[in-house]
Amino acid sequence: MATVKINGKEITTEDGTLILDAARQAGFEIPTFCYQARLSRLGSCRMCLVEIGGQKKLQPSCITPVLHGMEVFTENETVKSARSSMLEFLLANHPLDCPTCDKGGECELQDFVFKSGPRRSPFSEWKRRFHEKDEILSPIIVKNHNRCIHCERCARICDEVVGVSALGGIGRGAKTQETSFWNTTLDCDHCGNCIEVCPVGSFMSLPYRYKSRPWDLKEADTVCPYCATGCQITIGARNGEILRVRSKSATGINKETLCSRGRFGYHFMQSGKRLTKPMIKKGGKLIECSWDEALSAIKQRFGMGRKTAGIASARLTNEELFVFQKLVRDVFKTNNIDLDSRFANKWVTSAMVDICGFGEGGISIFDALKADTIFIIGSAISDENPITDYLIRTTASDKRKTLILAHPRRIKLNSSATISLKYKPANPGDVIKGIVNFIEKGKDKAEGDIDTAALRFKNASNITMFLGADILRLDNGVDVLKNIAVLKTLLKKAGKNINCLPLFDRCNQRGAINMGIHPLFLPGFKKTEEEGMDCGEILSAAKNGEIESLYVLGEDIVSMYPDAGFAKDAVSKVKFLVVQDTFLTETAKMADVVLPGATYAEKDGTFTNQEGRVQRVRKIISCVGDSKDDLSILDNIGGFGYKSAKDVFDDIKEEVPSYKDILFDALNNAGVLVNGQGAGVMSHESGVRSQRQEAIDDSEYPFQIITGNHLFHSGRLSQKAHVLVKLLAEPFVEISDEDAKELGLSDKEVVIVKSKEYEAALKLRMVKGSQKGVAFIPENFDSVSVNLFYKKGKGIPKVKIIKQ
Amino acid sequence: MLSTQAIENIKKAIAKYPRKKSASMDALMIAQKECGHLTEDILLEIAHLLEMPPVQLNQVAAFYTMYNKRPVGKYHIQVCTNISCSLLGSEHIFQFFSKMLGIKKGETTSDKKFTLSEVECLGSCGTAPMMQINDDYYENLTEAKIEEILKTLK
Repeated sequence: MATVKINGKEITTEDGTLILDAARQAGFEIPTFCYQARLSRLGSCRMCLVEIGGQKKLQPSCITPVLHGMEVFTENETVKSARSSMLEFLLANHPLDCPTCDKGGECELQDFVFKSGPRRSPFSEWKRRFHEKDEILSPIIVKNHNRCIHCERCARICDEVVGVSALGGIGRGAKTQETSFWNTTLDCDHCGNCIEVCPVGSFMSLPYRYKSRPWDLKEADTVCPYCATGCQITIGARNGEILRVRSKSATGINKETLCSRGRFGYHFMQSGKRLTKPMIKKGGKLIECSWDEALSAIKQRFGMGRKTAGIASARLTNEELFVFQKLVRDVFKTNNIDLDSRFANKWVTSAMVDICGFGEGGISIFDALKADTIFIIGSAISDENPITDYLIRTTASDKRKTLILAHPRRIKLNSSATISLKYKPANPGDVIKGIVNFIEKGKDKAEGDIDTAALRFKNASNITMFLGADILRLDNGVDVLKNIAVLKTLLKKAGKNINCLPLFDRCNQRGAINMGIHPLFLPGFKKTEEEGMDCGEILSAAKNGEIESLYVLGEDIVSMYPDAGFAKDAVSKVKFLVVQDTFLTETAKMADVVLPGATYAEKDGTFTNQEGRVQRVRKIISCVGDSKDDLSILDNIGGFGYKSAKDVFDDIKEEVPSYKDILFDALNNAGVLVNGQGAGVMSHESGVRSQRQEAIDDSEYPFQIITGNHLFHSGRLSQKAHVLVKLLAEPFVEISDEDAKELGLSDKEVVIVKSKEYEAALKLRMVKGSQKGVAFIPENFDSVSVNLFYKKGKGIPKVKIIKQ
Repeated sequence: MLSTQAIENIKKAIAKYPRKKSASMDALMIAQKECGHLTEDILLEIAHLLEMPPVQLNQVAAFYTMYNKRPVGKYHIQVCTNISCSLLGSEHIFQFFSKMLGIKKGETTSDKKFTLSEVECLGSCGTAPMMQINDDYYENLTEAKIEEILKTLK
């Protein structure tokens, strides 16, 4: 520990603390440009100069650690004049075009100059000028080099956090431009983090350009609706129109970073294709009707008991899902209720709940990442959960840590992994079995990657496993999870500390399971008296005419269910279909009654992310047209009398013990982790049944299909966000470069992907280092619905790829 | 496209360092010797060989004045205008060249014979003002000396 005196105030901090951090702890603000807590230290902007007692020259506090007995001055005249001079130098080349700059009003340079800068400049020389017109670097970035102050935050965040290295300082001295390779259009993740960290108006958002001034925006902190990482976002709206999404520097687990979906995926809410009025089917056609007519039709015609069912999306809030399960169970009197996500069978979901210890409460991802060994399986994490990928990349830059990444595709995070394991999509269990085998047999000589990984496990003391949503999709997912459970037990016996976290692709998947959207358990994992049917079973029953009424809440099962043909056939046999959604989806087109719901910015509530962190979703704009928020629609049908999301949350607290201590009104940007009350209710030994479906190798169809979300898309929702569509408008097929070479195919060529039942023409993408015999197709596009390759009960589809 | 010989040389350079990208400067020089100047395609090819992000290689190439980003003439006149040389009149030397050859900074004569560039310190401050033509240094420059030198360049 070191005790230092800052401006006369004594403070004791840990050795090695930066003077900057110590001063901030002591309550003194020091301006900075190049310093960013999560980035490497640069010490170039010289804004943070401080005087240290006994030293003649001022020192940059962002790279100087405290020493015991040090005396530091951050506010005296010498420091103030140095600060003012630094700003004077920055302004010597800064165009001062604040009136036409999008950053005006929230510009760090503007703020610091206003606070501590010079009031006049003696420079009479011409200012540096790179261009007259701003450059468009990508569909989301517009760049003005003239304003740049060379803090290099953009290039560092791109390299160190996002892991893309698309930006760099080209040139030298004052003439350096932070830009892309050869000034070409950026081929990057389009995450916009460079825009967010830019302290001036050098990197700007193209969709937000000249739309508003920051002080004219009404802002609300809420949670991103795309994946289950649970990033805090701040939505800015003006006159009821959403104009931008940003992330605040010290807020949430994401701390200023977002991915392209989170930052630019908001346009779907005001796409113009939203459902604005309830609709009812008359004479085989959907026609607009009044709420009264639609709701009374549901109340009269929706059945009761075994022949009814409800399927909900995990994009809805905890409160809505809780009321939905109440509606299905108490009013429709059935346990036939399930989630859409990945259409997992009920045994896989419950095994996942069990192995990730949902009953034991949430685990903060920061605690989980303290582990010395991190293992990820079953998730193309860089595409599915980009911000979790950033957090893991930053952690794994510590070379003492081991990152083992197991996935058939080569993804961005592979470049940070210590060991990369590959497997065929149908058999992630093989990797686990290999590791278990190595440890059980007490081997200590590694032959091959799996053994090396096993050796790392053996030598680890603190392990975190991330289990991806790919496993949920497998028919043999239960077996895979059982293997993981065996490994977990084995490692636990050896005295190692193990945490398991899920990686989900829907924002409230964990919350939905907590709320009892499951055929086997009620809210709080209490077992149902009678087993209900899961999504697959509901559809099979529907096909046989055994489901008469089906309520689909916010999900497009016809498009998304693996085996789309089967789903369409099944849904068409339902006598009374209610769809509550924001768009007229393929499923909604078949409905008898369509109810227009609300998007996440139009309602209050909570989401529970994959860690088990409950965070507030806040309303910022009113519902479009006559649409209503989903909670009031469900409440009306059920006649429960809930007035607000908070009312429902009070009930949730009673039914779900792990939410008991959470105060709805007190939920801030940090969220609250659910606690471990109600532990150990489910056990995978109890009744988990495996539906084994081995993928049989077929030489005629050598590729196994793996699907999932693309980095720029999520489900089918993002297709309605025009900026995301601009980033990637068409699906593609991704195979390893070895396979491509063998087949004589080249990158970007159009090829035919053919299974026994279905074929599609797709652009080819070659990736070096992916598993051979695996083809990835993103599931986000209507134009090539990857789900048509699937056949119910046949497991992972197998295809061949041929030249067009 | 680089020749197999150049690629071979780059691979030899890579072998000298613990990390591939440490061979950036060697590789760029090898490529420049072969192609005269560096293009987008060449940089991409080298970045691929060094397994590094292309923009980082571009940063190296753009930082140093010794890497040509544009085609140069038969004789590349690189006049140092850094502090020692400028104190001893490099500006005047540069203007003199400009007048003699009828070209401005960064330009090449129409017969593709001379390119005139302003470069950063070449590490020969003791003999300022000085310049480099292709790989050779010419020191303690005066107008008369320059006229002599230009005569020898055919």
